[in-house]
Order: sequence, then C-alpha cells, then structure tokens
Amino acid sequence: MATNKLIVTPPPHLRAKENIPISMRDVLIALSPAVVAALVVFTWNALFNIALCTVVAILSELLMRKLMKRKPTLNDYSAVVTGVLVAMVMPAKIHWVMLVIATFVAVGIAKELMGGLGRNLFNPALFGFVFVWLCSGFIASWAGNLGILPAGFDGAVAATPLAYLKHGTFSSMPHPSYLGLLFGHPRGGALVEVGSFWVLLGAAYLLYRGVIRAAIPTAIVLTVLLLSYILGKDGVYAILAGGVMLGAFFMATDWVTSPMTLFGQIVFGVIIGVCIVLIRTYGAPSGAVAFSILIGNAFVPLLDKVFKPQRFGAVAAA
Amino acid sequence: MAAELKTFKGGIHPPYNKELSSGKAIAEAPIPDELIIPLQQHIGAPCAPLVSPGDKVKVGQKIGEAEAFVSAPVHASVSGTVKSIEEVANFTGAMVKSVIITPDPQQEAFSGTPRDTENLSQEELRGIAREAGLVGMGGAAFPTHVKLTPPKEKPVDLVIINGCECEPFLTCDHRLMLERPEDLVKGLKLLMRAVGAEKGIIGVEANKMDAADALRSASASEPSVSVEILEVKYPEGAEKMLIFALTGRKVPPGKLPSEVGCLVQNVGTAIALHEAASTGKPLYERVVTVTGPGVKNPGNFLTRIGTPISTLIDAAGGFVGSPTKLIMGGPMTGWAQPDAGAAVVKGTSGVVVLTSDLVDLGEESECVRCSKCVDVCPMFLMPNFIVQATKRAQWDKAEMWGALDCFECGCCSFTCPAYIPHVDYVRKAKAEIAALKKK
Repeated sequence: MATNKLIVTPPPHLRAKENIPISMRDVLIALSPAVVAALVVFTWNALFNIALCTVVAILSELLMRKLMKRKPTLNDYSAVVTGVLVAMVMPAKIHWVMLVIATFVAVGIAKELMGGLGRNLFNPALFGFVFVWLCSGFIASWAGNLGILPAGFDGAVAATPLAYLKHGTFSSMPHPSYLGLLFGHPRGGALVEVGSFWVLLGAAYLLYRGVIRAAIPTAIVLTVLLLSYILGKDGVYAILAGGVMLGAFFMATDWVTSPMTLFGQIVFGVIIGVCIVLIRTYGAPSGAVAFSILIGNAFVPLLDKVFKPQRFGAVAAA
Repeated sequence: MAAELKTFKGGIHPPYNKELSSGKAIAEAPIPDELIIPLQQHIGAPCAPLVSPGDKVKVGQKIGEAEAFVSAPVHASVSGTVKSIEEVANFTGAMVKSVIITPDPQQEAFSGTPRDTENLSQEELRGIAREAGLVGMGGAAFPTHVKLTPPKEKPVDLVIINGCECEPFLTCDHRLMLERPEDLVKGLKLLMRAVGAEKGIIGVEANKMDAADALRSASASEPSVSVEILEVKYPEGAEKMLIFALTGRKVPPGKLPSEVGCLVQNVGTAIALHEAASTGKPLYERVVTVTGPGVKNPGNFLTRIGTPISTLIDAAGGFVGSPTKLIMGGPMTGWAQPDAGAAVVKGTSGVVVLTSDLVDLGEESECVRCSKCVDVCPMFLMPNFIVQATKRAQWDKAEMWGALDCFECGCCSFTCPAYIPHVDYVRKAKAEIAALKKK
C-alpha cells in the first residue's frame, strides 16, 4: 500500500480549476484583440512600446522584490499584465523614456512598494500613466509633443477625438464616427484608442471566464452615458471614445483595487462614471478615465466596510 | 420540469463524481481482526467505559456511557472480547480513550425485542434515541435526543430529512433512500411525533431522482410527508441553507433550527431511530461510502463502528493508481488521514481516496481581493477579512467579520485563486475567540 505518500492538509480537499496565473493569462488573452488592432494600426511603434513596457515591468518587479528581500512572483503574470496595460494607455508616439518611467512607477512603486500584488491600493498601470502624464508638464494633447523628442521623430498626430467631446461641434476638427470609434480611427492617441470593439471583445471573454463581474463596468458605462446626455453631450460618443471601455472592463475591475461586494462595486462604478464625465466636461479632455479610476480606488476600503453584506439570517437593525 | 428548483444563494458546483459508487448496492463490510471503538464519537461529554479488559461483550451491548445530557452512549459493534481500553488517535488525530475489541470468529446476529412503535410517547422516543446512542450521522455527530428536546417556548412544526448529500463523492444516503425508503419514512414519522411536528419534508437533490421517486411511493399514503427536490449545489445540505431553501425561513446567527420551528435530521439517523424504536437496535453500524479514483471498486458498505479504514479499503479492492489523499468524510469537509489506521465512527459518511490529478496543492499567497469567496459564501460573510484579522491576531475583528457564523463549508477555499485555506484560519479564530470569552 502506498500509504506513506499520503498528504495531510485541512479541508476542503477539492479546488476549482483556477488560480492567479490562470486568471492573469485570461486577462492577457482578453487584451489580445486590442493589442492586435494596435499592431495593425501603429505597426512597429506599437510593437516597440508593448515589448518595452513588458520587459521593464518584469525587470522592475525582479529588482524591487530583490531589494525588499521577497520571493520572486513573476510566475503570477501580473507584471506582464501591468506592462501591457501601461503600453496600451500611453500615446503611441510617446518617447521611450516616458514608457520606462511609467512602467517602473506602475510595477516598482504602485505595486511592489505597496507590498506586492494584493496590497496595492491604486491600480498600478494607471498610477504609472498618471505620474508621467502629470510630470511631463501637462502635455497639450496626445500629439506626442513631449519636448524631449529626438530630431526627426514624428510628433504630428491627429488631434484626439476627446477634444471634440469637450468642445462640442468643432467645425475645424473632423471627428470620427461611432463606427470609427468602435473599429479604429487613424492614429488618434493611445494604442487602445484603435477601437472600442476590440476591447469589448476581450471583455466578453473575461465575463465568460468569470474573471470579472459585470457590475463595475455596467455602472461606469451607464453613468457616463446618462450623465453625458444630461449635460447635453453625445453619450454614445462619450462611452466609445478614449479609454472608457478599457478602463471600465480592464482597469476598474482590477481585483485588488476594486470593492468586494456587489453594492460596493455598483457605487464604485457610479463614482468613476461621474468623475469621468465631470473631468472631461470641466477639466482636461484626456486622462479623465485614469484619474477617475484612481479616485474610485481611494474609496474602496470605505466601500468594503459600508457595503459589508448582511449576514445570513441577521435582522436589519430597525 | 421547467420550474425552478429550490435552493439558497451562494455556494459552488464542485466535481461531484457520485457515479463512482451511486449504482452500488449497500454491501456488508467484512469484520476486521480488531475494532477500535472510541468512547467519544459525538459532540458533548466523553463516555466512561462500562467494560474492562478481558470482558466478553455481545453485539449491541452498551460499553460506554456518560451522565451528561449532551452525550451519547456507545455500544459494542461485534460480539467478542475486550482486549484493552487505551488512548488511540481518532480520525482527527486527537487521542481518545477507546475500547479495543477482538471479535469472536462466529458472530451472532443482534437480538432485539420487537416493539410497537405506534403508541410511543415523546418522552419514550427521546429515551430510545439516547439509549441507542443516536447522533447526527452526517458528520457533526450531535446527540439526537438533545435535538429532540427543543426549548418549550419554541415549538417545532416541521421535521426535515436532509437527503441532499451535497458532499461530492458520497452516496451512502442516496443508497439508503433508494433501498430503504419505507424505513426512512417511518423514521421521519417517529421524529415528527417526538417533537410534535405536523409536517415532514424529505429534501433530495435533483441528482438523486430515483431516490426521490422511491420515497414518493413509500410516502404516498402519508399526507403529512412530502418529498421536495432541490438544486444540485454545495452546501445545499447545510442545516441553515436547507431550511431556507425548503421554507424560506432563516435561522438567525448563533441560533438553532428550533428558533424557526424546524428540526433537521440526517437520513441515516432517521432510519437508525426507526430501528432503535422497533427492535431496540442501538447505533453500532452505519453505511460508509468508500470511493474515489484511488480505490479499485468503489462501493457502499454497511460497516461496524470501530472498523479501521484499511479494512474498508481492502473491501473496495485496495488502492489503485497513486493515492495522494485519504479523506475520512467528504472531500469538502472531511479529514485527511496520514494512514489508513483510523476507525469508522458514528459520523463517518465516507472514505474518499483522491489521486494526484485531483489534488491541487498551490502555495498560499496574498489575497488579491478577487471577491470570489464573498460571492460563494452561503452565510454572506467576507471570508478574506476573517483571514486578514486572524493573520493579525485581531480576534475582535475576526468576530466582527463573522468568524463565529462560519460553518466551515469550504466554498471560499474551493474557489480561492490565491490558495488561501480560509477554513483553517476560521478554526483558529474560533478557538481564540472562545478562549477569550472564557476569561
């Protein structure tokens, strides 16, 4: 009898076929349609950015964990996910130095310095993005005019479709149609702005696989849609343009930095949606989604407490 | 058919693997060379031995008893000779004083006294349950006569037989319902009489429709008994979940089912009560499912209490493949065994042998707040926060997040992508909170 090899652990003794690497791989699979679309539109530019960010993300994690004397955790794929996300939210024609800084801040500071995956309060990719966005001196647009560009670098990029949203009908500015926003319009800013459809395709996969739940993205999208109309803007345009879809389905749903209960998630989504519309309308035309999600992240500990579920059989305090 | 099945909110769908043994009729397990009968097999006070080494015992003879109300006597499961009384590790690893019996080569059948069960009073039924050593046979082993004595101000109007058998792999209750439906209905009627309930429900999960059909025909002439079908979901058979699914009544935190007028009993216990009442037979044997991909011929065995696991493994054709985990009980709540030496007790529903392909031992990592544990918790707790509080030794916080309300079904750990053993942390928190309250 092979009884000497029996393993003794506490129950339960069965497990669902899921773990963190499987889920992170699912996120990468879900990002792939948008990544492919970006590669088609931006070609070598996109390839370079994504590869660079991924490598820097991995190196940052290795370095920081070494410095902090922690076990390496590369095999959870979370660094790769963050790297790809940073590349996707950054303008295509941004200087590589910016990409390196953004990725290092994302993985090295926003994640590892906070204690590693699970302990970070803010979405790492967005933290890195916003850091660079602010530090490069309020870049006038997504044009890529960052001041440190080497000679010969093509900085002329089409005006971002988001400018249209802030200024309303802008006769001098041709803006993409809904279809253009869904399936890609020529070089209009960040990699991910190659078309919301590709992002949604990946989102459907994440929902199907149970990696994310529908509450947060639904709340964000509906809030942006309705509030935009209330403020006299084109709501459909508002949800299709910019990073709303990527933010709603891939960033705001980040496990670590979102609330854990259904009601908490709905309120979280509404907070983010309101912030997006207000920032876009009264503030900067771009970067609104990133800022809004980071603001939402700050509410998470409170939302978890306030929306703690009523335990089974407990009577509500009258 | 399209009608929605009764159920609760939360829970999981583990791989059930019932087909390994659900078609196997109950067979008698062989009698081992030596039986180890622990003097505590139940929640409550341990028994004091009534026999001494060298004594001859008869099958069904009482060999241990306690004065305390919350306790249950134990009986010899074979006729034989008491070899010794010593401390032996039970299935949890705890050292329990046990009576070791060497069985006679020739086993006589238990000879009881037939009794008319029609006119037994509540008092008599409780006495019969106690004398027969009845306990809940689903695993927790709570003394049955205590359950049959609900507080006077909380009248019980409904007795529920838990025929869910929601634990994966186990089929002992399924076989009992299928093979002995009349006895189960009789047992249910006795339970109803014992607590003065007008109504009885047998709740069966939808993956045992053959058992449900058998019970429906067995109870056709009993207007007060009905058979209800429940969704196949774990932990459908947890007391509070089952009561809610069938009646919509919610047992408040920290309270017992009698709070909402219910009594829940296990299939095996109800049949054992019928046997005890009609013949005087005490609880000295039970059906144990021996199954899993790690045994050759899975089956359901009528097993004498005190039989070592190894005897049952042999009865099931021995180990096969690469047995990696040997579990006493079901795979969601049972106890992993270091060897096959532990003895079957009254609460042993199964012996499950898992092979390496079913054992996923990932390394525990930091919680990533995916909220899957919150989604599946049938008690609507936030298991991750109980774990966090336990890690930080913040026992007041662990209690605030509901550690005491957790009944350790294990759904959270089943679904956790970070391999966090929540149940282990909760047990630690419960022990610490209890210790603090004693002070």
